[in-house]
Amino acid sequence: MQFSLYDFIWAIINFFVILAILTYFFYKPVITFIDNRRAEIGRNISDAEQARAEAKKLLSDYQAQLQAARQEAQQIVDKALKSGDESRQELLAQSREEATALLENARKEIRRERDEAMRALRQEVVSLSVMAASKILGRNITEEDNARIVNQFLDEVGEIH
Amino acid sequence: MEQGSVVVFHIFGFPVTGYITTMWGVMVVLLIIGLIVSASLKKVPGRFQMLAEYSLEGMLNFFGGIMGPERARRYFPFLMTFFLVILFSNWSGLIPGAGHFKAFHPPTSTWSVTAALGVISFFLTQISGIRENGWGYIGHFFQPIFVLFPLNVIEEFVKPLSLSLRLYGNIFGEEMVAAVLLSLAPYFSPIPMQLLGLLFGFIQALVFTTLATVYISTATAEHH
Repeated sequence: MQFSLYDFIWAIINFFVILAILTYFFYKPVITFIDNRRAEIGRNISDAEQARAEAKKLLSDYQAQLQAARQEAQQIVDKALKSGDESRQELLAQSREEATALLENARKEIRRERDEAMRALRQEVVSLSVMAASKILGRNITEEDNARIVNQFLDEVGEIH
Repeated sequence: MEQGSVVVFHIFGFPVTGYITTMWGVMVVLLIIGLIVSASLKKVPGRFQMLAEYSLEGMLNFFGGIMGPERARRYFPFLMTFFLVILFSNWSGLIPGAGHFKAFHPPTSTWSVTAALGVISFFLTQISGIRENGWGYIGHFFQPIFVLFPLNVIEEFVKPLSLSLRLYGNIFGEEMVAAVLLSLAPYFSPIPMQLLGLLFGFIQALVFTTLATVYISTATAEHH
């Protein structure tokens, strides 16, 4: 076993040289890189967790909003249906009233026309019968007599009618 | 194998042996690996990066298991460099031609180099102990009673000595065994010996690094 002081000193120098080289060109970059990547992965994971929580919250919000909108829509539809029904009923009642009024008017008109016709007819009949009676009797009978007789007759006719 | 004169050349009058040139080769390989890995770091690692990350993180966790994660990070460069230099030095002996050329001798097969590593671990242990515990570290040499002070001091010096001798002995011994087996059974021994050499080289690197970690951990542990 030999010991060489030169080898010994050279080895010490070599060791510190390679120590410095490896520290700055190998250990530090690699370990820093690993640490950074670890931190980044940790950050990414927590970001993803956060995003997921947010998405979950948004989803539940949207679901709640959707539910509310659906309820509102249902209410609107119900209301519209109800008001439509009401206005239909109203219209129906109104038109029924109108029809009744029209019918009533028509009836009144008819009655009035008939009365008019009756009166005209009655006068015609009186004057015609006076004329006829004068011709038959050859003399004049008073209008009062005539009127009395004709009215009597007409009453009889009216009773038959 | 230990040879008297493996001096390759001189720098400023200092002789440079094959152990040192081989160590430079190991350093270049480590530098290239380090540069390739750190230059091509991607968020989704490829196989090579995966292996590098796995090794570094695995060793960091291993040291952390011994001395706690915080101190493991502080001493990681030293410990990991011990491990890588010793591992690649050990494995350099498995390359065909190792020990047969003047400029190519596995560095850990000479006590000069392993002693250097042991001395570095000694100073690293003492300095870190004083830095983290101050007088408390000095005080622990007098415990449990002051009479044991010399024994405690001797223990501190024995630790790096045993580290360096264990590493040197194992690697040098393994090479001797390989050489002897090769001369006995030239066509059958190389492949199993190469595989065993891979395993031994790894184990010796791990043992040295683990013990250095334990020593630093003991020296920097909080005293009550």
